[in-house]
Amino acid sequence: MMKKQTPSNSPLDKGEQLESTLDKGEHSNSAGTSHFVAGRPECGRTRREFFWQTGAGFTSVALAGMLGKDFLARQAVAADGVTPYKYVNPLAPKEPHYPGKAKSVIFLFMYGGPSHIDTFDYKPDLVGMDNKTVKVRTFGRGGHKNEGRIVEPRWKFKRHGESGQWVSELFPHLATCVDDIAFLKSMTADSPIHGSAMLQMNSGRILSGSPALGSWVNYGLGSENENLPGFVVMLDPRGGPISGAKNWSCGFMPASYQATVMRAKGSPILNLKPPTEMTPAMQRRVLDSLRDYNVEHQGPRIDNSVLAARIANYELAYKMQSAAPEAVDLNQESEETKRLYGLDDERSEVFGRQCLMARRLVERGVRFIQLYSGGNHFLSTWDAHGDLVKNHNLHSGETDKPIAGLLKDLKRRGLLEETLVVWGGEFGRQPTAEYAKGTGRDHNAYGFTMWMAGGGIKGGQSVGRTDELGSAAVERRLHVKHLHATILHQLGLDPNALTYFYAGLDQKLVGVEGAEPIAELIS
Amino acid sequence: MRSLGHATSWMPLLLAAFLAAPASADSRTSDSRASKSSAGNNDHTAFFKDHVRPLLTKHCLKCHGHGKTEGGLDLTSRASLLKGGDYGPAIDLENVEESPLLEAINYDGLEMPPTGKLPKSKIDVLTKWAKRGAPWGPNDEPIAAEHEEAGPPAVNDENRKFWSFQPVKRPDVPEVGNPAWIKNPIDAFVLANLESAGLEPNPRAEKLTLLRRATYDLTGLPPTPKEIDEFLADTEPGAYERLVDRLLQSPHYGERWGRHWLDLVRYAETNSFERDGAKPHVWRYRDYVINSFGDDKPYDQFIREQLAGDEIEGRTAEQLIATGYFRIGLWDDEPADRLMAEFDELDDYVRTTGEVFLGLRIGCARCHDHKLDPVPQADYYRMLAFFRGIRHYGVRSPESVAAASLRSIATPEQQASHEKVIADWRGKIDDAKAQMKAIEDSVKDDFIPVEHEEFRHEQSRVSILKKRVPKKLPQENFDRYVALGKRIKHLERHRPQPLHLALCVTEVGPKPATTHVLGRGNPHSPSEEVSPGFPSILGVPDPTIPIAGNDAPTSGRRTVLADWIASEENPLTARVMANRVWQHHFGRGIVASPNDFGMAGLKPTHPELLDWLASEFVQMGWRLKPLHRLIMTSNTYQMSSRANPKALAADPDNETFWRFNMRRLGAEELRDSILSVIGSLNPKMGGPSIYSFIQDEVLQGQSLPGEGWGKSPPAEQNRRSVYIHVKRSLITPILASFDVADVDSSCPVRFETTQPTQCLATLNSEFLHERAKRFAEYLTKQAGDDPKSQVELALLRTLQRPATEAEIARGVKLINELMADDGATPEQALAYFCLVTLNLNEFLYLD
Repeated sequence: MMKKQTPSNSPLDKGEQLESTLDKGEHSNSAGTSHFVAGRPECGRTRREFFWQTGAGFTSVALAGMLGKDFLARQAVAADGVTPYKYVNPLAPKEPHYPGKAKSVIFLFMYGGPSHIDTFDYKPDLVGMDNKTVKVRTFGRGGHKNEGRIVEPRWKFKRHGESGQWVSELFPHLATCVDDIAFLKSMTADSPIHGSAMLQMNSGRILSGSPALGSWVNYGLGSENENLPGFVVMLDPRGGPISGAKNWSCGFMPASYQATVMRAKGSPILNLKPPTEMTPAMQRRVLDSLRDYNVEHQGPRIDNSVLAARIANYELAYKMQSAAPEAVDLNQESEETKRLYGLDDERSEVFGRQCLMARRLVERGVRFIQLYSGGNHFLSTWDAHGDLVKNHNLHSGETDKPIAGLLKDLKRRGLLEETLVVWGGEFGRQPTAEYAKGTGRDHNAYGFTMWMAGGGIKGGQSVGRTDELGSAAVERRLHVKHLHATILHQLGLDPNALTYFYAGLDQKLVGVEGAEPIAELIS
Repeated sequence: MRSLGHATSWMPLLLAAFLAAPASADSRTSDSRASKSSAGNNDHTAFFKDHVRPLLTKHCLKCHGHGKTEGGLDLTSRASLLKGGDYGPAIDLENVEESPLLEAINYDGLEMPPTGKLPKSKIDVLTKWAKRGAPWGPNDEPIAAEHEEAGPPAVNDENRKFWSFQPVKRPDVPEVGNPAWIKNPIDAFVLANLESAGLEPNPRAEKLTLLRRATYDLTGLPPTPKEIDEFLADTEPGAYERLVDRLLQSPHYGERWGRHWLDLVRYAETNSFERDGAKPHVWRYRDYVINSFGDDKPYDQFIREQLAGDEIEGRTAEQLIATGYFRIGLWDDEPADRLMAEFDELDDYVRTTGEVFLGLRIGCARCHDHKLDPVPQADYYRMLAFFRGIRHYGVRSPESVAAASLRSIATPEQQASHEKVIADWRGKIDDAKAQMKAIEDSVKDDFIPVEHEEFRHEQSRVSILKKRVPKKLPQENFDRYVALGKRIKHLERHRPQPLHLALCVTEVGPKPATTHVLGRGNPHSPSEEVSPGFPSILGVPDPTIPIAGNDAPTSGRRTVLADWIASEENPLTARVMANRVWQHHFGRGIVASPNDFGMAGLKPTHPELLDWLASEFVQMGWRLKPLHRLIMTSNTYQMSSRANPKALAADPDNETFWRFNMRRLGAEELRDSILSVIGSLNPKMGGPSIYSFIQDEVLQGQSLPGEGWGKSPPAEQNRRSVYIHVKRSLITPILASFDVADVDSSCPVRFETTQPTQCLATLNSEFLHERAKRFAEYLTKQAGDDPKSQVELALLRTLQRPATEAEIARGVKLINELMADDGATPEQALAYFCLVTLNLNEFLYLD
């Protein structure tokens, strides 16, 4: 499928020479030659990393600096079979820190913040309490409050599976999968405001400017398929989430790690196809002529491997034009499979299509895929400030069957073990009403539920607990960084050792103080 | 429920690779050891040494040990462990199960470590150890601090000797073996270095290569055919120097070098976060920067204006606009923690100012002493104190932003005309109010007492009046009353906005709040108070801040800071800026970490050259244009970029500058060059930003697709990229793809990535195909219908050199085959050839 890589002994291999040159650097850290060294002192860095960070010189120099020796000697042949090049693809697969259980991640982002006490966090004490005023500390977009009017959960709960996990009737299909799911019922985040909370769930920080989780994963592991992007985002057709592209930005990392937005309808990737009047034959002819010019230009500049890389990248782009549509061509799927994802139901068809696309991308080695349920604002998202019943019936109806279908399909294909599925929003919702009337709930970052399945996660369990009202996590409190740490860990990356030197600091997804993965989940 | 019970249900096995080896080994070996009847002290000691001590060191001692004993607990020795802290002995030997330490690691009440619960295997190790009576190492020796030598560098005389903390000393120009090569002292420094490395400088680049190099470096645009002709025709000595002089006078110089500055100061025109709202009047700061470079404003003045332009006596509008420097960063209008958000804003000032002007990462000392530089945490807060009086950008509403960050810059005439508009507007409101009052008065006699009371509330008035219709109040009068009310509302909502406003800094007044060192950077835990001061490693006495009068608008602190930064004595300022100029000419700075001249940064490859340039820069009145001229007229700058095997082997990274570095065009240069070579570039300068075309697919990623992105007329869209609206959450795709600067923090060096999606963009995008069509039309107009002439001109424009016969023939062949074999129309075929030219490596890369 990809990468013909053989060791190179070429004297022109800049990487090798750089390695030796830089080792003389006074700031060179004797502890290691790359980022992938555990237990490095905080803020420690090598001179090599500096090249990477500053982006100085040619790309290959920068890359050589980051990737260490393993990747320096790689040599590839461009897709046209003619052009040799020594450029190092920043997304070339890299060794993890230790063998990981998961190879890919599918993050099902329930944008707007689903109500945990109406979905998975069963609170019998709330039953029959509707409209009662209680003392409870809450913090949402409406500010800090010390009491509120209870909105009794509007859906009935039942235990499901051998493990007896509680699921409300919002998710009848997903309820059949609970023995594969680990529920995190004591999640907390730092902000109950969409903008900053979204950024934290996606990048670990409430301020913008840091790379998204998917960027970190591709930085740490590279991509298994060079003909497809390594970090894919699929949006709700109703619109993107608040802050838009900031949610899948590569922040301070280079653009190689930024997400590619894929669409279920039309051309899946931006600029994937030329305008229709340019036939494939014309395009091929244009590319051949372009290569002839570029090869001639390269002649006296053969030492600059980036020129060769660009020549080869045109061929990669050319291949991507057919690989990407093939990857998301659902006509290759059986009717039974389509039904499994709810493609036969108007309500669930859109998200079902995206879930099925996600499975196909996982099969093709795409490392990180994020799907958004909910886009735009208000009713189009899980942000149930108004009519809770209408809102959550809509969004669960759209996603229940597709998500259950995804888990079942992955499982029967033997892919669930190596695919980590993560479900959740940027926060949960309050047990009390936001307004004097109605069922709307305000945001709640003090306690909420997320879940993980597959990718070596031990299913059929619930970790942590919120109080009797579901207002705040009280037992085994988990933070977003623990979720991130667990995701990285399952991929074989040590969350406390995966660092990227930027602005004078070894930056980590889990923050300078670090975080341990959630031990209970690791099977 | 006790979480310990919960823990017992965990899966017993963890990924072996994940675990620290000692811990995983322990679950097997320690049991067998324990079963040995003779398990003596040695076993216990080994168990402690191999399994427990590493755990304590890694997870506990950061807060309960070396230097810190949070909760009064010190875990470095057995004695202090058993003595315990606020919760009593950490391990209760009488009742081990209830030991605070075990409860804490099981997250049963206490939760330790706070970064996350330990994996079960590690908890097991500590539990086992406690049950064994917490055996320790030989003689209960305390655990020594690890890496004591790796602590933060201290502020001491030794560290003061670090090169960049020393005053700039103008070095002597070195003697060289080949004085013939020396055009100016720069060459002497570079050649001396090369000679000692046994290398020779590359020969001079070809004439047109130099034209291209110099034109792009100073204007960010390609030379035009006319400029090529003129330069080739000028065979007199000094032709190249005349070229440099001409380029330095180009209006496009400010656009190019202003953009470098905008990268540094994290320039963007929106706030990021949920609404990513537009910053009002922000473009004036962009124009201020462009004009400052264009006018060759002395750099020391440029510093003073941005940091404290508002405090300059008799300040001009421009000087107020300059302080927009403080207002172009991120702003969360709805922060979860307001106090933290305020300090995030102050942090942005400290961080950006430290990096941009001083090349010091002072921001690293927000939570603790800088780990790699002698910058103690107190220094961070002493620096922050200079900014302490600055009003926050706003508090939630646009009105609050206007109140805190907008000020009038109107001339007296503009002010007068605006006041007239306001007076007219107010007159209309007053008139309507008077009419309403007349109607009210006509029925007031009819009110019952409670209605008089209710009538005070505006919202009740209409209903009270309505009761009197039609008997006491004619219907038409009532209708008029309602209409007048609506009119007033409308007028109030549409208050005439003054056009001449600057986005600028303001302060709370003469006395800022006190500044404290914040424990771990947390504004909720202030400790000792500090006053404004400079980084102590530089050994400058603390400044005396002149006492501001009671009615002074600001504290005057920023002027003190600006004066110190902009002084000739400051060891960093001139070096940092001279280095940036060098960096943008040569592809890397003499210090390759331009925002970090500290101990964590890279050392200069040519320290004497840097000092010479810095001192020359100051001597030339802090002006950049003479510095450019000096650099560009050196032989060093005019070298070829070609490889030579010997030098490539000895110095592949070109640390010695044996050749000129090739470089790819930056994002804006690429887009601007496309517009330029196809004859579409609109050279109009300045003014409010424009909106480039962005495909619907990309806008679809916004929560409200299209929100905050307008449509500019085609001619406006053809303006230079520096004028495109910089919306933090919606960066123009072609710019993002080609590594435009990150907009959320200072960007000293851009990435230069090479990726297939760039090729998709330049091969398939609507933008490129449309431009290729325009190019084809331009060629037909300029060169007629002959494909050979068309190809010749296309290559001249994109490569900025006359094409060879073979290159022309290849283009003609492509056009012919596209028509003959693929059925393309002549227009189509020419457009596709144009597409090829816009994708050429030679178009994108400079020699």
